[in-house]
This record gives sequence, C-alpha cells and structure tokens, in this order.
Amino acid sequence: MAAGSTYTPIATTTLSSNQSSVTFNSLSGYTDLIIVSNSKNNTGSNYYLTAQFNSDTGSNYSSTRFQGDGSAAASTRYTNATEAKIGYTYTTDFTLGIFQIQNYSNSTTYKTCLSRSNNASQIVMAIVSTWRNTNAITSIDLKMEASAQIVAGSTFTLYGILAA
Amino acid sequence: MAIKRTSSNSLVNATKMSTGFSSAAIPNSPTIGSATAISDVAATVAYTAAVLGANGVTFTATSSPSSITGTGSSPITVTGLTASTSYTFSVTAGNANGTSAASSASNSITTSDLPTSYESIATVTVGSGGSSTVSFTSIPQTYKHLQIRAFARNTSTGNDVFSLLRFNGSSASAYATHYLIGTGSATASGFNGPSVTDMFSIVTWGSGSSMNSNVFSAGIIDILDYTSTTKNKTVRTLTGVDGNGMGQIDLTSGLWLASPVAVTQIDLLVQSNNYAEYSSFALYGIKGA
Repeated sequence: MAAGSTYTPIATTTLSSNQSSVTFNSLSGYTDLIIVSNSKNNTGSNYYLTAQFNSDTGSNYSSTRFQGDGSAAASTRYTNATEAKIGYTYTTDFTLGIFQIQNYSNSTTYKTCLSRSNNASQIVMAIVSTWRNTNAITSIDLKMEASAQIVAGSTFTLYGILAA
Repeated sequence: MAIKRTSSNSLVNATKMSTGFSSAAIPNSPTIGSATAISDVAATVAYTAAVLGANGVTFTATSSPSSITGTGSSPITVTGLTASTSYTFSVTAGNANGTSAASSASNSITTSDLPTSYESIATVTVGSGGSSTVSFTSIPQTYKHLQIRAFARNTSTGNDVFSLLRFNGSSASAYATHYLIGTGSATASGFNGPSVTDMFSIVTWGSGSSMNSNVFSAGIIDILDYTSTTKNKTVRTLTGVDGNGMGQIDLTSGLWLASPVAVTQIDLLVQSNNYAEYSSFALYGIKGA
C-alpha cells in the first residue's frame, strides 16, 4: 500500500467585518473537502449556518439533523430547502463546526455532506445533507439563514483530502 | 571597490590592503557555495570567505525573496522559510566597520511541503458488479489512528442497513456497538452486543428502497490506537444519508473485545447484500508524535 500525505489546507478566511457570505472556489484536486468553522451571527436569534453549491439557490437541498440541548434529544428533517444546513449559530458565543463534503467532484451521484456543530453552552448537533445534483462541486457559499450576517472574527478554513 | 594613490604613485586595492593591515577595513565579499533545502522551513547555505576577510567577521546569508537571514559559519542555516517555496541566497561578510557587498546568488532551492500527520493509505471503489465485502489488508503499523471515509449505497431491497465492521478477518463473537440514531422525526439509541460477530458502522440504504438511486450515504469511521497490544479496540462512526424526505443521521461507538492485538485487516460488509457500484472507501493513517 502506498501512502501519501494529504489533509491539505487550501484557504482560510477570518472576517474583519460582518459579512453576508463567505465563498470558497478553486476546489479541484481532492477527494473530500472539509470546512472548519468558528462562527456566530449578528442577530438576537439563533440561525443555521448554511451552504449552497455552485451558486444553486433552487430547492435542491435537504438535511436531517439530531441534537441534544442539555435537556432533550430531538431529530428534525428539512426537505426541498434552498441550502444545506451545516450547524446552529448563536449571537452570544461562537459555534465550532466541521463540515465534510465527501466525493464532491464525482459527476455520477448526488452530493452528501456530514457536519458536526458544537456550542458548549447551547447544543451538540450532527447533520447529514444532500444536494440533489450530480455535477461536481466547484464553489461553496456559506451563509446564515434569514439574511443574518456572519460576524467579524468568524473563521473558516478549507482543507482538501486526496485518497490514494 | 575603492582605489587610492600610494606614495610611490602606484594604484592598489585600498580595501584589500587595509583588510590585511588595518582594523578599519570592511571585509571582502564571500564566494557563494551550494544552498540546500533541509526541511519545509529551513535551508543551509555554504560559502567561502575571502582570504583577507575571514577574521573577526560575521557572515550572513539572506534569502530572496523575503530577505530572511541566518548567521554563522559555513554552511549557514536559515530558518523561518515558507514551505513549498523557492529561494536563492546570497552571503555578506560584516564587521564593526561595515558590511561587504553581497556574494552572487546561490542555486535555487525549494523547501519541502508542509509536513502532515494525515496520510492516504488505500482506496477501494466498487465496480459495476457490486461487492459484498470491502477489505483493507496488510495495514501499515506506522500510524497512531486510522480513519475510513466512506461514500456508499447497498443493493438490498430495504431501507437502512448498517455496514458491519470486523478486524483481522475475525467473525468470533467478540464485538459490541452502541448507537444513536436521528430519523428526522425521532431519536433512538440501541445496543448490539455484548458479544456479537461484528460492529455496526456506516449506514447504507438499498437500491430497492424508494430513495433516489443517486443518493449515497456518507460515513467517517475512526479506529483509535489500532496498533496497541494492550487495549481493546474502540471505533467511532459518524454516518448519515438524506433522501429529501427519508434518511437518518447516526453515531456509533464500537468495541472489539478480543484479546488485544494490533489491527492488520479491516473488513466492511453489508448485511446479506452488496455495496452498490460507485461506493468508495478510503483508508487514511494519522500519525502520533
């Protein structure tokens, strides 16, 4: 078996001001992508951090999540959505997220993503999302729900993993 | 180079003359030697001091680009470079009176890639005939942990089916799994054990179900401390599939209860069915310090 080094940092963004979105492109050359985020939103409410691929704003996404908030566990499904759910964000403190986009460049299957979202004072969550499109993913737009903004200081790092 | 007229009206190299006989002189330029990349952030730079310029002199190597410097005797080590970047170097000689002109530029070197602790070992992609088992054999024992990243579907006529995980080809009753499932409307937790013939790992859905055939599940399996001969092996999985109205998200925690041995082989199986075409499984190794 031949081994090759991978888990390559591709890009990092740290917001210097509130932004409505963060975009990653130039994604080619890997098998899987991973985005590690540390973010919160600028509203008084709790919102999902979401992803759209290849600028597709159609109702072509769906997600299933489960979560524990310290008192109960629950599971929720979102169908025919206009974005993939990544994780829950708050205004009081930052939420850590790891978003895994597997086999993102194949042109045969829909794309499946896994994410973990952790906010020690609020919630622990896991989500699976599907983009119903067989095209290779060439760009990723990260946004908050409901036009909320991503606050200054939020960080997003994109990694690529290349299988042997 | 400074030129001065002597009492005998002959012209001499003032710098060279004073270097040899006066403490007020600036040293001559060194002669550049070979530059060599020695890591992702460092290189060595060899030089030869001028005959009349070596005593009491500090030699400095400077990179181009970025003007990163190192000092010392030949070869000088320059650190703080950037991984995967090309550099040339020049060397100067300096003393209390000043600094020489720079040597000519060295050969170009390129620092090595940033080191990583995460390495790809092998990948299995299922062909058109499907496959009942995916195996990784002769797994290198040079890592601390293993990770399998899976993208899969099965050929059953049913809905969700866990993949089964076994180590070292053993189907002895020595496995156990706790799992947590979110169905989109409810959560459930279960236990498969205490001594069964395999662990649960990634979830897959069947081609015969009503889920669109383009939907594949994703799974990440972490196998911790797999070379230990003193601990039972623990496994965790994050896995899920979403078919826009059906699917699930799962966490599993598995244990191999057999007498502790290193994991040298991993088998993934679909319960009574095959993995479908385009299913892929990639094995990675994670190094320890």
